[in-house]
Amino acid sequence: MEQQKRASLKNEIVSLPSPEDLPAPPKIKPLKKGAAAPRILSAAEEAGIADEFDGMMLERKLSLFASRKTELLVACGFDEDPYTSGAEAVLRESAEDVAEGLWLAAKACGAKERLVAASSRREAHRFAACCTGTAAVAAGNRYPARTLLMQKLRRGGKKAEWIGVQACAALGAAVRGECRNETVVTVAGDGVRRWGNFRVRIGTPVGDVLAAGKPEKRVCLVAVGSSVTGRTVTDLSLPVTAATRCVIALKRPPRVPAHPCVGCGRCARACPAGVLPWLVHRELEGGSPEALRLFHVEDCVGCGACHTVCPSGIDLMAAVRRAAGLKEGRDLHETE
Amino acid sequence: MKLSNASPPFLHTDVTVMSMLGDRIFALCALLVIPTVRYGPRPLVMAGLSVLICLVCELLTGLMRKEGVPVTEWSFAVTGLVITMLMPVNAPLWLPCAACLFAELAAKAPFGGFGRTPFNPAAAGVAFATLCWPKQMFSYVDPAEPQWLPVWGECSVHTAQSAAAYLKSGLKPDILPFDMLWGDMAGPLGTGAALVIGACALLLFVRRAAHAETTLCFLAAAAALAALFPRIACSPLTSVKYELLSGSLFFCSVFLMDPVSSLHTAAGRCIYGAAAGGLLMAFRHFGAYEQGAVFAVLIANALSPLISSAVGRARGWEGSVYG
Repeated sequence: MEQQKRASLKNEIVSLPSPEDLPAPPKIKPLKKGAAAPRILSAAEEAGIADEFDGMMLERKLSLFASRKTELLVACGFDEDPYTSGAEAVLRESAEDVAEGLWLAAKACGAKERLVAASSRREAHRFAACCTGTAAVAAGNRYPARTLLMQKLRRGGKKAEWIGVQACAALGAAVRGECRNETVVTVAGDGVRRWGNFRVRIGTPVGDVLAAGKPEKRVCLVAVGSSVTGRTVTDLSLPVTAATRCVIALKRPPRVPAHPCVGCGRCARACPAGVLPWLVHRELEGGSPEALRLFHVEDCVGCGACHTVCPSGIDLMAAVRRAAGLKEGRDLHETE
Repeated sequence: MKLSNASPPFLHTDVTVMSMLGDRIFALCALLVIPTVRYGPRPLVMAGLSVLICLVCELLTGLMRKEGVPVTEWSFAVTGLVITMLMPVNAPLWLPCAACLFAELAAKAPFGGFGRTPFNPAAAGVAFATLCWPKQMFSYVDPAEPQWLPVWGECSVHTAQSAAAYLKSGLKPDILPFDMLWGDMAGPLGTGAALVIGACALLLFVRRAAHAETTLCFLAAAAALAALFPRIACSPLTSVKYELLSGSLFFCSVFLMDPVSSLHTAAGRCIYGAAAGGLLMAFRHFGAYEQGAVFAVLIANALSPLISSAVGRARGWEGSVYG
């Protein structure tokens, strides 16, 4: 998919003032050098750090990785969503904090190796030049880049797991006793005049973040989370969470007139899990789908790539989800 | 600010059904340029009438199905233009109209319209016209006497045999293969200019509005059979040049191999293209008419489900829980 990040990455991250009604972030003790894993985990818990990609508390996530005996911890320094660029901006501006935080996180979960994944080779070299002790790799532009890179790493035999760069940077800052109860949100879309990345306190209303982008009057749709798998919001007083990631304002929702499948095969090429969405759609349209032909549907990662590339505007992701439900034994109509 | 809800995704790739059809229409319109320059506005009138007939049929069938006025895509324009390209420029105007009526009412509407047609509607329409009016279908203007044809009414012109007719008779065409590239020879309206068709094909492949593997396998199969079984006394290479550049073979390999009536997998499309190319050469050798491309395409369409099933079985899709 065509990346739309240049405009938002042109300027540095702008810090928005914190709303007055939000409590001040807690004070935390700085981490001593050589702190053990349990101390690192408790520091993450005290600072209230959450991973920006799934909203999971970092302490809980690292404990989970430790129980899974993770070997490789990968800091995700890119956003696969075409509009969002917060991770890339954080990687550019806080590379040392990210490297420090990743080192601490790896120590906390027992991962022997660590890696930073950047959006491109250029970004990877930029990071590696700044932080020589941490390896960096380019994830590429093909959507969904996170899934594809993780598949590649796991095929190499590594037990690899993701961690967000904002969580790493926050952990790195916690070493100095700084509690960053903040997240970086990208504001983009044709409904705003100013695209950019904004650092906001968690709990700031979405409307405040949108206002920083100078929205047009004709905005009719505001989406958060992701331009591919996110959700719309109609109440702009909703608070920003660690996993908000982006606020996209559009003047009109994209409408692709629905047509029958034209057999182009784009959905199959786009799917990272090996599903054949066109075959699933054809089976479901037939009315009596053969479960044996709905293969790999249980591997669907919900990236929405199939739906996004379909020229006929067919909701293939929903079709694959229904098929997965059918294979689990649920009745076809129950899954609708 | 009045906000509304919508379901994701909130962006879409640029490629839509309309853009794919638009690319095809653009390519087909490009093929109209040379005949229009040579013969006047008649090709444009033929194309316009064909498209109009297809549109009217589309509206009527939509109203009959109680879908309202379903002009949400332009496949009717593609059908009309393809039929026009396969007609002689001096054909009576009712001929492409009859072909369009058959294409829309017999090959498209009964199957549910766009996206649900097992047979290429344009190929079906041209096949119908060929069977019913072969004399008019294979009577071509002599390009040695260039003239502007009357826009309406009958064309009383000198006719000439096409290169395909020469080959059918076992004779070498009286034109060099190099000269055939520009379409300066007797033949259907839009199928002669091989260079232009090649450029259009490249455009469609780059824009992913057509599958390159189908066309390449089609041409490869036809070329192989032309080299192995030449119809005239010449070298295999000369036979390949004449066979690929004569008739509507090249045109059909690009514009009649549409994704809808084709297969969904690359392997399936390769087999489908090769089958169509082989069938076309078989029609050329054993068929009654000098051109059998549309019949070959229709038979290949009929074979599509079998090919699809065979490919699925080979990949373990049929009867396997995990692929």
